[in-house]
Amino acid sequence: MARRISFLLNGELVEMEVEDHWTLLHLLREELGLTGTKEGCGSGECGACTVLVDGMAVNSCLFLAADVDGKEVLTIEGLAAPDGTLHPLQRAFIENGAIQCGFCTPGMILSAKALLDENPNPTEEEIRHALAGNLCRCTGYLQIFRAVADAARRISQEPIEVFPRRTD
Amino acid sequence: MRRFQYLIPRTLDEAVSIVESYGERAKYIAGGTDLLVKIKEGKLRPDYLVSLKRIPGLDDVKWQGSTQSETRIGALVTHRKLELSPVTRWHYPIIHDAVSNIGSVQIRNVATIGGNLVNAVPSADGAIPLVALDARVRIHGPKGEREMELLHFFLGPGQTVLERGEVLTEIIIPPRNSRSGGAYIKFGRREAMELPIVGVGVVVELEAEGDVCARAAIALGVAAPTPMRAFQAEKFLEGKEINEKTLDEAGRIAAEESKVRDSVRGAAWYRRELVRVLVKRMGLKALERAKKAEG
Amino acid sequence: MEELCVVGKPIPKLDAVDKATGRALYIHDIRIPGMLYGKILYSKYPHARIAHIDVSKAKKLPGVRAVLTAEDIPPFKFGFYKDNTPLKGGKVRSYRDEVAAVAAIDPDIAQEALDLIQVHYEALPAVFDPEEAMKEGAPLVHEENRSNILKLPWKMHFGDVEEARRKAKYVVEDRLRVTWVTHCCMATSGCIAMFDASKNLTVYSNTQIPSLAQRDYLEALEAMGLKGKRVRIIKACIGGAFGSKLDTYPYEYIAILLAHATGKPVRIVFDRKEEFVATSGRQPAIIDISQGCDENGRLLFRDVRMILDNGAYTSWGATTPSVMMMPISSLYRVPNVRYEAICVYTNNTYSQAMRGYGNPQATFAIESSMDRLAQEMGMDRVEFRLLNANGPGEVTSQGFRITTCGLKECIEEVRRRLDWGGPKEKGEGVGIACLIHVGGGARVYKSDGCGTIMKMDDFGKVDVFTGATDMGQGADTVIAQVVAEELGVRIEDVKVIHTDTDVCPWDVGAHASRTTFVACNSALGAARKIKERLLELASRQMGEPPEMLSIKDGEVFCKDDPEKRLEIGKILRKAHFSQGGQMLMADFFYDPANENLDKSFRGNLSMTYTFGAHGVRVKVDEETGKVKVLKYVAAHDVGRAINPLLLEGQVYGGALMGIGYALTEQLILEKGEVMNPNFRDYKILTAKDAVPIETYIVETMDKDGPFGAKGIGEPGCVPTAPAIANAIWDAVGVRLRELPMTPERVLAAIKEKRANSG
Repeated sequence: MARRISFLLNGELVEMEVEDHWTLLHLLREELGLTGTKEGCGSGECGACTVLVDGMAVNSCLFLAADVDGKEVLTIEGLAAPDGTLHPLQRAFIENGAIQCGFCTPGMILSAKALLDENPNPTEEEIRHALAGNLCRCTGYLQIFRAVADAARRISQEPIEVFPRRTD
Repeated sequence: MRRFQYLIPRTLDEAVSIVESYGERAKYIAGGTDLLVKIKEGKLRPDYLVSLKRIPGLDDVKWQGSTQSETRIGALVTHRKLELSPVTRWHYPIIHDAVSNIGSVQIRNVATIGGNLVNAVPSADGAIPLVALDARVRIHGPKGEREMELLHFFLGPGQTVLERGEVLTEIIIPPRNSRSGGAYIKFGRREAMELPIVGVGVVVELEAEGDVCARAAIALGVAAPTPMRAFQAEKFLEGKEINEKTLDEAGRIAAEESKVRDSVRGAAWYRRELVRVLVKRMGLKALERAKKAEG
Repeated sequence: MEELCVVGKPIPKLDAVDKATGRALYIHDIRIPGMLYGKILYSKYPHARIAHIDVSKAKKLPGVRAVLTAEDIPPFKFGFYKDNTPLKGGKVRSYRDEVAAVAAIDPDIAQEALDLIQVHYEALPAVFDPEEAMKEGAPLVHEENRSNILKLPWKMHFGDVEEARRKAKYVVEDRLRVTWVTHCCMATSGCIAMFDASKNLTVYSNTQIPSLAQRDYLEALEAMGLKGKRVRIIKACIGGAFGSKLDTYPYEYIAILLAHATGKPVRIVFDRKEEFVATSGRQPAIIDISQGCDENGRLLFRDVRMILDNGAYTSWGATTPSVMMMPISSLYRVPNVRYEAICVYTNNTYSQAMRGYGNPQATFAIESSMDRLAQEMGMDRVEFRLLNANGPGEVTSQGFRITTCGLKECIEEVRRRLDWGGPKEKGEGVGIACLIHVGGGARVYKSDGCGTIMKMDDFGKVDVFTGATDMGQGADTVIAQVVAEELGVRIEDVKVIHTDTDVCPWDVGAHASRTTFVACNSALGAARKIKERLLELASRQMGEPPEMLSIKDGEVFCKDDPEKRLEIGKILRKAHFSQGGQMLMADFFYDPANENLDKSFRGNLSMTYTFGAHGVRVKVDEETGKVKVLKYVAAHDVGRAINPLLLEGQVYGGALMGIGYALTEQLILEKGEVMNPNFRDYKILTAKDAVPIETYIVETMDKDGPFGAKGIGEPGCVPTAPAIANAIWDAVGVRLRELPMTPERVLAAIKEKRANSG
């Protein structure tokens, strides 16, 4: 069974037909070719597939595509500005050594974004709590915590950039 | 994933009638984080998934100003909403203890308290604090509405009293006196993403003055096929001063009462030890919170 | 010390931008037109005869392009012991045996086809305990052998252990056990195999051993009647390795066979359950160890015997003893050492390389035993280790020639930071454990070399084609750093290509923490040639002798008169666009001057060795057995930190992996079946469990290392388990001899101690 949905994806309006049994992860990776979001386990236990839906971090492997109808979705591909300027989180992750093999990185960055959007000045405890659902095997997490704290500082020091969003 | 049709009714009656007509081939879906995993693993093969998410009125927290009044939690309230709600943070910290550690933020943003109860997994972190609070549940079905005690809602691992077409709609927390407090702990090998080896929730209501216990509730998870209460341990505490000594004994009795098993996650003897120790610790924490309670 | 521009700086990993923006392509992200999806059917029994396989229904399913069983493929054996086949015929020997494979136009159809394949098994008696499997009359896993004990030569004896035992004043004996743990790379395994019109093979792969994998595939092609064809391996971005990609797996051969059968590219990607069940993790072991010292505390002997559960087929797990010999013979000064390891077939899963390659297992035993020996003689555990610590310039009983060695400094630093001997609260304890590891390559194969081809273009930009592999640890970046430093160019102008065997030279593989040492030395060799020729060209154009010239920031300038300078690009364009034009290219094959071990396992395995010490302060909850790490110090002698940012990442990551090994991780097998093939029940540590690790780096400036550097990829996870075990002992007086040290085991030990002391 298919249905028509429309949703905002990385700031752009998307209208398309989706199959009922598709997950949001499948929609992004297989139908829309946005392979930045990764599948690590398929059962909501690793967080590699994390995307933001209406600003909330969700495991896209357990989110039905049909349920994004009328919502806003942000994937890793939509985080940098259209002109390529990296988001402070991306810059902080890169500069703090928080990326090794990189497979957990998209999900990790988006979970961190959801945290900072809600809590611009988190403690380390709060950072750990927010990232508890994003597994990383390479880094031991410490440089990731530094990166998130670093990004928080950068964001608070920089003028708030609202990347232009097109809405029809 | 195996194909299914996804139906999104706008009223409860619509949902119920769909499930009634498709029978075994249809399943309700709330957050979906448990259900979709089971479908992916081939453990469930529904042809129809009936969403409860767009039915209005199921995702409110109805707080009436104090714990001395009834509080109602809609079944479709997400764990995250409960985690962030001032109602749980300040007035039902035992619930906050539990929901803030279920899965991850990603899971909690989507998974609902109702879904957690209806899945009836023995570890149910959602269930134990509510069972300790003497919660009741409201059920809506083809034959109308009914209410019952949450403790009796569970029949076995993965099994509840829900009959075909029935939907859990609301959780009702009865009033308690102004000097009450509760605490919950989930014990596991690591600090997050854990299914507990045991879960222990304790609620105490104190007499008007001092540390004497008027009523106590001790709820245990993974200590039996379904969430259980350690009634004998509770009875022991009634009328006594709550302190390390009495809680020690209560823990011992609760451990005896429990029906722990060996499993991949832990041996029975160890679970019994944990019940004994954690009942004491949660009892002390509940006592502390009861004395600080604003009511 | 010389002033360096790029080396020693915390430069972010060169591919981090791609990874942070979702551009990096892993196997899972690659799509090739016409690509089919392969899936594998695994055994339903740990040990059984395959009576009959019926694939007729699967073949008829619309969308299925090929179904293969052992009957459809040429007989072909692979693996270290040549006892493995891509698809199993005749019988299955473990739950992870591959029985059939399907290629279809989409993964769901492939899965459906698997469900339609009917296999009739006749169950055979199985054996899951290696000690049982050693006995006469035990079910034979491979019937062509007369026993389940593999014919392997793991025996060494230097000095005279029995005599030393007689002379020793203090002796301790222990039996310890370590079990299966697994890599848990965040990206699951996978590859894409495709043939061109002439039947040359290309494989998109995650391998850590591109050159050796190429050879493995060539052997397969030969068996398939395709001798003389070419193999090209293209590496996608690797989502974690830690040794898991050090051997060639059955699924890779299956992908090749399916690609051949269908004439189309075939992709096989594991799901997470398959990753737990069908990849090979760390080698388990039953370890018997005894050590003795004289009345002054000097170690006299170390005697170790191990039984290794080899599982049903043989991969690198069976060779871990060759590396375990290293700490056994050379961690601390021990004049008399003896070691024997027996590998036994069982119907369990089988192991291969995992970060440390046997060193963590052996060090758990050695350092637990060292603690016990110190206690036995009443000496402080740090003093005991300092007394026996290795020093620079020594030769160990196995013939390892230690050059640089910062072990004592590491131990002292750990002692200081842990406040050793200071006040402790109830339930608190401190522990220390040290490590030795190869740091200058490891000659475990006929060659330990790495090749580099380098070219500098008309604009001064450098391309480095290396045989090395980056799997997230930062090989790409450190190679670029040493090249940029040597050539005097900016790091932005250096590109490292390591992803294509058609272009990149030979390298034995990313293992033994050898990449920085060997690949950077190789790159330096090529860079020096380029520099020499560049200075020659500059000299002619600038009218100065080459020794008067220097290069910095992409410009050649005169040392005496820095205003006299020329941009590299200008020099090269002039040299190129003239009569008898030249371009700048160089190659270099660096094969370190280490030695293959001789028949008695004596030899200088590596050109240099790394050392380190980990110290930990724990708090043990005596009522629940839970162990909390309060402080963790990781001190490492790394020669030189070429990139402190990436080096820290290796230590943090390695240490946390090791802490998981110590406390929480366990692949639980029951009668050969993995009971926890998911992240819910296999406990790798989460962000909430992360332990703040203090690192301390000792730079001993090794003369053979590139800019003085030694390896660091593995050492971080080697001494973690014994450091924690030793701290638990200090905290609550119980000695845990089995990993993981779960709260349940700790509490059981505490209760037993209480019961025994009355």
